[in-house]
Amino acid sequence: MSRLNPFAKLPGLNTASVLLVESEEHFQQSLAEALVEETSVTVNVRLAKSFPLPIENDESRPRIDLVVFIINLTSELSFQSAEASLKYLEPGYFLGKVCFMVTNARSSSVPAERLDAVRRLAASLHCPLLFAEEQTPEGVTNAAERLLTILKAAAGFVPFTTPLYLSNLTRCTLPPDIDQPSFD
Amino acid sequence: MPSSSLATTRLLIKPQTALKSSFLRFMLMFLCNMVKCKHRCPTFLQKAPIHVSSVGLCFFFLPMILVSGAGSSPCVRVLKCLIPASVVPQQAVVRAVVWLNVSKIPISTQVLFIKWVLTVFDLIDAKDQLRAIYGFIFSFITEENLCPYICHLLYLLTRKENVHLYRVRKLLELQSKLGRQPFLMHLLSLYKVFCPELVTLSIPSRIRSGFKNYISPWKSALVAVQKSNGQQVSSSISAAFTIKEKSISRKRKHCHLDLPALSSVLNKEPQSEQTSRRKMVPLVHLSSFAQMLKDMHRIELPAQMGSLLGSSLALQYLDCVQEESALLRLNFWLGCALHEGNLSHFVFQEGFSSSDAFLYKFLNVWDGSLLRPQILGLLSNIPVIPSTRGFFFYSAFRCFSVDFPALCLLLHRSWEPVCDCQLSLCCRNITLSGFKDSVMELVHFVGRLASLGLQLEGCNTLLLSFILDFYETVCDTFLKFGLPLVVMPPPGVFYPALLATDPVSVDRLAYIMHRWVVFLTPGKQRSKKTLHSLFVSRHTFRQFNHYLVFMVNCLWNCRMFHANTDMHVREELLHKSNVPQYWTRFDFIHHPAFTGYAVDFHQKCWPGKKDVDVNSIKSKPWSWYLEYLFNQGFDGLKDFVHSSISRQVTAGDKLQDSQQR
Repeated sequence: MSRLNPFAKLPGLNTASVLLVESEEHFQQSLAEALVEETSVTVNVRLAKSFPLPIENDESRPRIDLVVFIINLTSELSFQSAEASLKYLEPGYFLGKVCFMVTNARSSSVPAERLDAVRRLAASLHCPLLFAEEQTPEGVTNAAERLLTILKAAAGFVPFTTPLYLSNLTRCTLPPDIDQPSFD
Repeated sequence: MPSSSLATTRLLIKPQTALKSSFLRFMLMFLCNMVKCKHRCPTFLQKAPIHVSSVGLCFFFLPMILVSGAGSSPCVRVLKCLIPASVVPQQAVVRAVVWLNVSKIPISTQVLFIKWVLTVFDLIDAKDQLRAIYGFIFSFITEENLCPYICHLLYLLTRKENVHLYRVRKLLELQSKLGRQPFLMHLLSLYKVFCPELVTLSIPSRIRSGFKNYISPWKSALVAVQKSNGQQVSSSISAAFTIKEKSISRKRKHCHLDLPALSSVLNKEPQSEQTSRRKMVPLVHLSSFAQMLKDMHRIELPAQMGSLLGSSLALQYLDCVQEESALLRLNFWLGCALHEGNLSHFVFQEGFSSSDAFLYKFLNVWDGSLLRPQILGLLSNIPVIPSTRGFFFYSAFRCFSVDFPALCLLLHRSWEPVCDCQLSLCCRNITLSGFKDSVMELVHFVGRLASLGLQLEGCNTLLLSFILDFYETVCDTFLKFGLPLVVMPPPGVFYPALLATDPVSVDRLAYIMHRWVVFLTPGKQRSKKTLHSLFVSRHTFRQFNHYLVFMVNCLWNCRMFHANTDMHVREELLHKSNVPQYWTRFDFIHHPAFTGYAVDFHQKCWPGKKDVDVNSIKSKPWSWYLEYLFNQGFDGLKDFVHSSISRQVTAGDKLQDSQQR
C-alpha cells in the first residue's frame, strides 16, 4: 500500500499544492476555483474523491503541501470515506499538513453525534477543523481565504512559521462537556 | 423544494351552507380525485398543496376529515394537502382534537394530525382555547406513538398554571417506561423552569437544539404556498414598536423564517373596557416606556417569542424581568432559527442574556465570516467566565489568527466583557482570584494569537497597533478594574514592536514599558492604591527586566547584541553582514523608525552641510535632538526615557556612560 509522502519530492518554485478530498465531489469544485485566484503564489489544486489516489498520476503529481478532507455532515458516507482515507497518508502529514473542512454544520438534519465524531477525529489527529458555508459565494471565498493562510504556512511561505507551529494553535480541541449526554 | 408547478386550488365553503355529511363526503372525494388526476403519484404534499380559505375549510373540514370513515387513505391524502392561507381558527383545531378521542381513527392519522397542528401552530390565531383543554391534550401522552408530538405541542402551550404535581409524576412514570427520551426531558425542563420545586430530577446542561424536526418539508411547502400568494403570515404589526423598516418589507417575502411580527396571544382588538377588566396586558399593546413601567406586573408575553427580538421595548422588559420561562422559550426559538439556516435578517439586540446560549451554539459551527459584525458585537457582551464556556470561547477563536480583520476586531472588543464582568461580579458568585485567573488566561491566549497573527501577516502595522492597544489596557487593569494583573507582552509581540519600521509602534511599546516601570518600581507609584496584595512571579519580573535591559541597550546604550540579552547573534555572522558598527544600528538615531527624524534634525542643525552624517548628532546636540524627537508627539518615548534612564552629563559636552535604572 503506497502512502502519500509529504517530503518525497522537491517543492516547485513559488508554488503551493493542495489536495481537496471529498467523496461527494460537490464543494471541491467551487472551492478550487476560489483558491486558484490567489496571485501572490501559484496555487496548484488537485481534486480527489478518496484515497488511494490513482497510481498512474504518481509521477506527475507535485509535492502535496496540504491535504484537506471535506466532510459533508449531512451524509454519513462522507465522514466514513474521509476516515478510511486517513491511513493512506504518511504520518508526516499530521504535523500540520492535514486539515478538515466541514460543510452543512448548521443544518437541522445533522445528528449531533456525527459532528462530535468529526471533532474527536480532528482532535485526536491534532488537525484544524474549519467550518464552511458552501451555499453562498461569500462563504466559499471565506473558506478559500482561510485555507490559503494554512496552505501558505504549510508550503513554507511564511518566515519562521512551520505548519506544526500553526497547527498548535489552530488545531481542534474538544469541549469539556462533550461526553455529557445530550438530546437531539 | 416544491417543483415550480404547484397546484393550488382555492376552495371556499360558506359557513352557512348546510352541511350534510353526504355533501362533505362528496367534497372529500372530489378533492381526492383532483389530487389523483393532477399527479399520477400523489405521494407527498409538496406536489399538490391545496390552498384553503381559513374560515371555511378548516373549520368544518378538519374534524370531518378525521371523522369520516370513508377509508383512511383519501382522508390522509387530503390532510397532507391542507395548507392554510393565512390563519387557522383555533376552534377548528379544538374540535378536531376533541374528535381524536371519540372516533376510531387509525393511529397514523392521529400522528399526522398532530404533526399538522405543529406545522401550522404559528398560524393558529389564538391559543387560549387550546390552553383550556391542556389537560385533555395531556391525556394523549400515554399513547406511545403520539407521545413525542404531544410533548412538543404541550411544550408550546405550557404555562405556569398548567404545571401540576400529578402531571410531573405522569411524565416521570413515562420516563421510567420509555427511557430518558429527549422529548420528555424537554417538557420536564420547561416544567422545572416554571416550578422548580415540583421537578427534582437533574436535567443535563447540554441540551441540544430542541425537538426533532420532522415537519420541515411541510413547513417549506407552507412557506412556498404563502410566498406564491404574496401573503404575510402574521396578521398584525404593531406600529408602536420600533421594528426596523427593512425587516418589515422583507417579511413579506420570507414569511416564516424571519422575525415574526409582534402580536398578542389573543388576536382580537380588545375594547377599552375589556382591557381594564382583563388581568394581563399583552406586550403588543404597550406603546411607550412609561406605559410599560405602569403595567410592569401585568404584561403578557406574545406567543411567538422570536418576535421580541425586533422590538427594543420588549427586550428591555425581558432583560429587566429575567423571567426564566420566557428566556427558555426564546432560546428554543433561536435554536430553531439557527438550524433553519436563514439568518440573513437576524436582528440581534445587544445586552440580552438569552443570546449567550445561542452564541455558544453558533460559535460551535461558525465559519468565521457569516454575520461576523453582529457576532463580534454580541461577543463583547458575553462573560469571560465561567470557565467551561470560556474554553469554548477560546476554541472558536483559534481560527482567528488566520483571519486578520477578525483578529483586529476581536482585540478591539475583547475588554468589554471584562468591564461588564467586573461590575456584576457580586451577582455571579465568583471570587476575585477566579476572575483574575480567567482574565489572565484570556490575556495569555490573546498573546499567543497575536504572536501568530503577526508572523502570518508579516508584522502588519495595523495589527500591531491593535495588539499594542490591547496591552496598554492590560497595564491599566489595576486602575480600571481593580485587578492586580501583571502580564508582559510575549516576545512575539515585544520584538516586532521594538524593531518596527514605524515610529508609532515603538512609541506605544515605550509607553507600555514606562507604565510597567512605574507600576513595579516601589516608590514610583503615584496612585494611592497599595499593592501589598500583588504577587508577581519571578518569571514575570525576569521577563520584565530582560525587556527593559534590552530596550535601553538597544535605543540608548548602543549595546544591542550584548551577550546577556535575548537576541544573541554570533559575532562572525554580524561581521559577515558588513554592517558598520552594528551595535548602534537601532538606537535613537539609526533606528529605521527614527532615521527620518535624525536626518531632518541634522539638516536643521547644519543647513549648509551637504554630507549628512547623523553620528554627529551624538555630540552636543544630542539632548536637543531628543527634545526635538519627543516633540513630534512621541510621549511614550519621552516618558520611558525619563523613567528608565538617568543620565550623567559631565562638564564636557560628551555624553558619558549612562546607566539605566
